[in-house]
Order: sequence, then C-alpha cells, then structure tokens
Amino acid sequence: MENEGRRKFLGVCVAGATAAAAVAAGYPVFRYLAPRTGQGGAAKLVIPAGELKEGDAKFFEFAGSSAVLIKTKTGELVALSAVCTHLGCIVQWVKEKQQFLCPCHGGQFSTDGSVLGGPPPRPLAKIPLTVTEGNITIG
Amino acid sequence: MLKRLYRWLDLRIGVGEIVEKELTGYLLPRNINEWYSLGSVLLVIFALQVITGMLLMIYYVPDADKAFKSVTFIMNEVPFGWLIRLCHAVGSNMMVAVLILHMLSTLLMGSYKAPRELNWVTGFTLLALVQGISLTGYLAPWSQLSFWATTVATNSASAIPVAGPYLVEFLRGGKLVGPPTLGRFFALHAAVLPVVIAAFIGAHLFLLKRTGISAPPFGREGTATPFEAQQYHYQGHPGGIPFFPNYVLQDLSSISIYFAVFLAVVFFWPGMPFTPDAFVPADPFKTPAHIKPEWYFLANYQTLKIFPSELLGLSVQAAAMTFLALLPFIDRSPERHPLKRPVFLTLVIAGILLWIALSVWGHLS
Ligand code: FES
Repeated sequence: MENEGRRKFLGVCVAGATAAAAVAAGYPVFRYLAPRTGQGGAAKLVIPAGELKEGDAKFFEFAGSSAVLIKTKTGELVALSAVCTHLGCIVQWVKEKQQFLCPCHGGQFSTDGSVLGGPPPRPLAKIPLTVTEGNITIG
Repeated sequence: MLKRLYRWLDLRIGVGEIVEKELTGYLLPRNINEWYSLGSVLLVIFALQVITGMLLMIYYVPDADKAFKSVTFIMNEVPFGWLIRLCHAVGSNMMVAVLILHMLSTLLMGSYKAPRELNWVTGFTLLALVQGISLTGYLAPWSQLSFWATTVATNSASAIPVAGPYLVEFLRGGKLVGPPTLGRFFALHAAVLPVVIAAFIGAHLFLLKRTGISAPPFGREGTATPFEAQQYHYQGHPGGIPFFPNYVLQDLSSISIYFAVFLAVVFFWPGMPFTPDAFVPADPFKTPAHIKPEWYFLANYQTLKIFPSELLGLSVQAAAMTFLALLPFIDRSPERHPLKRPVFLTLVIAGILLWIALSVWGHLS
C-alpha cells in the first residue's frame, strides 16, 4: 500500500520534470521560429507631392503591406491599401480607365476604393493622409 | 484515451507484438554494463544534430557573401539563435567524443569479434562519415577559421601522386577554396552525408538486431562465446534482463549524464568550439597565424607535420585507419576478456597514448 503511494508520487515527479524539460526546450525553439517583431515598416511615410502627376499612381510599402497613392484627374489625393479584399492579390492601376483592376479574379475598384465589379466583397481600405507644404504624409 | 489509441493501433498493426518482442520480451545479458548505453546516447546526439541543423537552415544562407553575416545574425539577433547554434557546434564535438568512447568499449570488450565483424565495419564507416560531416560543416560559417582549415584539409589530398592536384581542385570546385567550395560542402553537409549516415545507422542497428547483443566478457557466466557456427544463429540471453524497463533506465540515465555535460559546455564554456579566428570573416588574402584543426584532427595534423613527405604521412594514416577498420578480420582469437589478451591490451593502450601525445603535440606546436 505504502509502496503504491511512493510509486504514484515518483510518477508525478517524473511527469513534472519531463514537462518542465519539454517547456525549457520548447520555448527557445518557439521564440527562434516566431516571426520577427518590429519589421512591419514605418507607420508614417512622407512623399514629396511633386513626385506624382495627375492621373498617376504610386505603389509603396506601408506598415508591412502594400499601399497605393493616386492623384485623380481633378487633383484629389487618395491613399488606399493595394491589397484586394477578395483573396489578397495586389491591385493594378489602369491609367486609361482611371480605376483599379485586380489581376487575379478581375475585381474592379474606383479611385476612392469602392467596388465597381467582380468578386471583391468590400472596398479597398482607405489610409488617412495630410498635405503640408508640398509634402504628403501618409498614415 | 491512450489505452484506446493503443487498442486501435494494436488491432490493425499488432503493436503489442512489437512491444513484446522488442521491448519487454527482449532479454539482455544479465551482466550488461553502462558502456552498452553509449549507442543510445549517440542516437540522441544524432537526432539533436539533425533538429538543430534544420533550425539553423531557416536563417543560414549558404552563399559566400552572406554566410558569415547570416551566422552573426543567428548569434546576435534571432531569439535563442545562439543557443541553437551552440548546441549544433558543441554537439558535433561531443558526437565525436562519444563515438570514440563507444568504439573503445567495443575494442576492450572484444564485441567486434565474429560474428559481429560487419557491425564493426559499419560502425567504423560511421566514424569516417561523422568526420566528413564535421569537416564540411566547419566551412559553413565562412570565417577565417573555416576558410583556412578547409584550405589545409583539402590541400592534403595533393600529396597523392599524379591525381592529387586535380583531386584538390575537384574537391574545392576551383583552384582555391571559394564560393563553389561552400556550395558543394554545404550540399554534402546538409543533404548527402546526413542521409548516408542515417542509412549506416540503420544498417548498424539491423546487424545488432540480427546477431543479438554480445555478452560482456566480465563477471558472470557466458563470457566467452566462441563463434564456430556453420549456420546463422541469433545470440539470445535466456535468463537475462528485459530491455524495458530495466535497461531503458540505464539508457536514460546515461543520456541524462550526457545532457548534463553537454549543457554545461553550452552554457558555461560557450567558446569551446571556437578560436578567435572563428569570429573574423573569411579573407582569401590573409592567412591567420597558427591555423589548427579541431581537436579530433590534431593527431592527423601532427602526423602530417612529422613526416618529411606528405605522401608518407598520409599513407601512415591510411594504413592505421585500414588496420583499425579490418581489425575483426585480423584479430581472430575468440578470447574477449581484455585482461586475458595482454598483447592486444598493450597495443590499445599504446595506441591511445600515441594518439593523445600526437594531439597534445599538435596543439602545442
Ligand atoms: S483576389 Fe482580387 S479579385 Fe480575387
């Protein structure tokens, strides 16, 4: 009877020690493999306003993802996420039609990001921007 | 839950039969000792080398321009990267050390004798393969140490008459050690040799299973097992101890002792696998002073220095290796107890002392 208790106690100790060892070995491996933080790119981006002509689009990396800045024919500036809301392809700027086309499944978006046709369920996400003394600050 | 899974598997593939045959029903000689557990330790080390190697491959770039940087990145930036790399580097040293102990125990207990010649030959091949994987891995960090150690090691092939110079160029993939060398060495280190080593380990274990464990020549009965069979014969040990749980406990305690030593080196002596040249990027135009190989190659290195001609030095080494590899075919007496083989014992001790002396000499010179 006493032996039984001893056996159980030792069993629990062994299991505990094994679990502790597994965590001690597993944690470094997990941290080693975990994605590196702080590599998302700058949260704010400054682009000189002169870089963009009317009707043109400029693609850039923003907060770890792709974004686009366009200047409409009327001179309005719009910054949008360039990631299609359907399955995540990067939209293309069709200058002649002044709209975005997604090459993957033919989604179409207008200059303000709203869906004109195709499968995308939501408009492209807007990114706030401010213009000061010829500089466009995005984010 | 576990019981149900076991039942499910057992109904389909007969797990119980395997457990019965290999674990609980598998009897080992009663006087089996600690030395027999070194094989298990080596299996654990090999597994650990494979795992840490795979992890290192995530960040390591096998490109002469980027290799050193990527290793620095692993050491300094990646969380626990230093730990993974140190485990890999220290592990390789420990693997050679334990391998040597494993072979010494085989030598002294005479377990290489008939019918286990093939086990010795596959084991000896494993030693050569492990040396090969250590040498090719040495180049990977592309440091001064890597670069010049590889230059010297590949250069020794040039002593071979006629084909030598061409062979060196073939090994290096060019006239000098350079980016092509890194490419081929990395492929050998990370793809070819691990597979070949795994295959030889498989063969080694298969042979072990077929012949059965040899009884140690110490202590109780059944010490001398002369081999005169005209037919295949499995050496069983009726009245022995079961592998599970008895010997597993011995295996586990040896593995724990190994880990204690291994982790002590990793944490308290992290400089062990490195010399200062390991922290300087490779520079083909500047040979550092006193370039030396790893400790287990020091004796070979010193041999090359002693003999006036490189060819002679290499031949002596090749002869010594061949002699060792063919030992079971040369030493045919059935006696296995080391104390009853005085000539053999003297030779072994003299050999070990010679090896140590050469290594120390090589280290100091
Ligand atoms: S991903 Fe853009 S339309 Fe499908």
